Amino acid sequence: MTLASFVIKNALRNRRRALLTVISVAVSCGLLVTLLTLERELTIPPESEAASLRIIARNKVSLAQPLPAKQLAVIDKIPGVVAVSPFTFFGGNFREETVTSFAQFAVDPARFKGLMVEGRIAEGSYDDFVADRTSCFVGADTMKRYGLKIGDRMRFSGTFYPVDPDLKIAAVFQGTVDDRGVFFHHKLLDELMGNPGTVGTWYMRVASAETSNDVIARVNAAFANTSAEVRAETERAFQMGFISMLGNVKLLIGSVSTVVVFTLMLVTVSTMSMAVRERFRELAVLKALGFRRRELFSFILAESFGLALAGGMLGIFGAWAIWTGIDLQKLTKGFLLYFEVTPRIMATGGVVAALLGIVASISPSIAMARISVVQGLKTLD
Amino acid sequence: MAAEPIVVIRELTKTYLQGDLNVTALNGVSLDILPGEFVVLMGPSGSGKSTLLHIIAGIDRPTSGSAVVQGINIAGLNESQLAEWRNQNVGFVFQSFNLIPVLTAAENVELPLLLTDLDSKERRRQVATALELVGLADRGHHRPDQLSGGQQQRAAIARALVTDPALIVADEPTGNLDAKSAGDVLTILQSLSRNAGKTVIMVTHDPKSAAFGSRSLHLEKGEITP
Repeated sequence: MTLASFVIKNALRNRRRALLTVISVAVSCGLLVTLLTLERELTIPPESEAASLRIIARNKVSLAQPLPAKQLAVIDKIPGVVAVSPFTFFGGNFREETVTSFAQFAVDPARFKGLMVEGRIAEGSYDDFVADRTSCFVGADTMKRYGLKIGDRMRFSGTFYPVDPDLKIAAVFQGTVDDRGVFFHHKLLDELMGNPGTVGTWYMRVASAETSNDVIARVNAAFANTSAEVRAETERAFQMGFISMLGNVKLLIGSVSTVVVFTLMLVTVSTMSMAVRERFRELAVLKALGFRRRELFSFILAESFGLALAGGMLGIFGAWAIWTGIDLQKLTKGFLLYFEVTPRIMATGGVVAALLGIVASISPSIAMARISVVQGLKTLD
Repeated sequence: MAAEPIVVIRELTKTYLQGDLNVTALNGVSLDILPGEFVVLMGPSGSGKSTLLHIIAGIDRPTSGSAVVQGINIAGLNESQLAEWRNQNVGFVFQSFNLIPVLTAAENVELPLLLTDLDSKERRRQVATALELVGLADRGHHRPDQLSGGQQQRAAIARALVTDPALIVADEPTGNLDAKSAGDVLTILQSLSRNAGKTVIMVTHDPKSAAFGSRSLHLEKGEITP
């Protein structure tokens, strides 16, 4: 017999309780991993190398304020800007849907091609998109989700704009970090809106990431002290601005995660306390035989740690297997795109489980340390 | 030349609080025990015999007085030193056996050896010897619930012996046994005293059990009475 086998035998002496503890920790850890993954999904925008090369300029007053279309001529001349296109969020509801389940943007197709450095044309022809003012350029995920094909029509009911564009699918893109969007001609939106001469934002590309700060400064300076000052920022910074509006979601998920961890701790502490309390006499016997407090604490810690870690691993890898195996994109109709259980999230779950094992052993260890051999021997006699 | 006492107790007192009451368990007890003696502590409940045994065995501390066992004043040892001292010098036999239910008899006997530097082969050899001594050589792989009361107590004696301590303390070791098993256990303890030179101190209520000892001490109200 070794000390390790002694600990294992003790941990498994009440198999049903050990199993229930492991399952409780597994379910809670699985839930924690799921919540952390959800938080990541909702709060971290898809990133790509190309995103660091792109700049978005919006009205300095607010994103809701449009910018004059005539600014294009000025931006075209700014050194460092390789490509630029108007980029207006349409925000329409597709078919009979009552929510905007994927983004639509009005762009200048000829200019927009220079901005889409990642991805490829999966079906149709980009030239067809450029040529037909009523056509659209659709992400492969959206095509798949709605069972669409080239030539099909997509009708949107405007929510921000009081118009309902009816678009013909000309081309399909794939391989970007988010293959859900729909792009259509800004000219069509202008016509439908009665040519207001405005755009939502400007979408630009710079030659290298190193020059982006200089270009941002130049763009901001170009429209300083005009009636439509702009705020230019990298695509990443722009996305993070949106995310900051999801603050309450983060707080909610954070709160639920805390409750999960706290509940998990109560379950494990309670189990360990029970396991130790019913063994007070045995622990007293071990003390009498010469085992010191630190050795007994090691036994309790190892037992608690082992149970918590076994449950943690089961929960973490269970969650990973479930969310990797299920097509969540299909199941949630595109709401959850990647739902990736990253190694970092798994490690966080593992650390929580390990800490839990340590914390759960503290209270029973203190109780064990406090009780004298004589008191312990009298416990159940 | 007379042998040096293995246990020297001087003016030992032990008081403790029971609710609001200050109870005196031992009141100025003085006592010498020689190596190889089989001392039986007798007396009514609450007379202090178990408290005296616990202090000699180093699992309880006196309020005042000294308890020197094998030349060491055990009251002066800290918790950790005391634990190590117990492991090396004292073997315990309890009334209710106190074997660990998830371990086999052999594993229970091996427990105190896990604190030593012995390798597993040597530990197994010593466990086998101890089980042999108590007549349980063929029961080593049985768990406590697969052994009779007498066999469990013999396994507990093997556990007490396995580190080869000079002192064996037994707190009513036959209290939970039938007459036959009690006789077997007492014979083993007597043999350890007579043949192996172990000092055995046993607490009992039973005069028949006391007859196995070489000396009986009667305690009453925390004092040794003539």
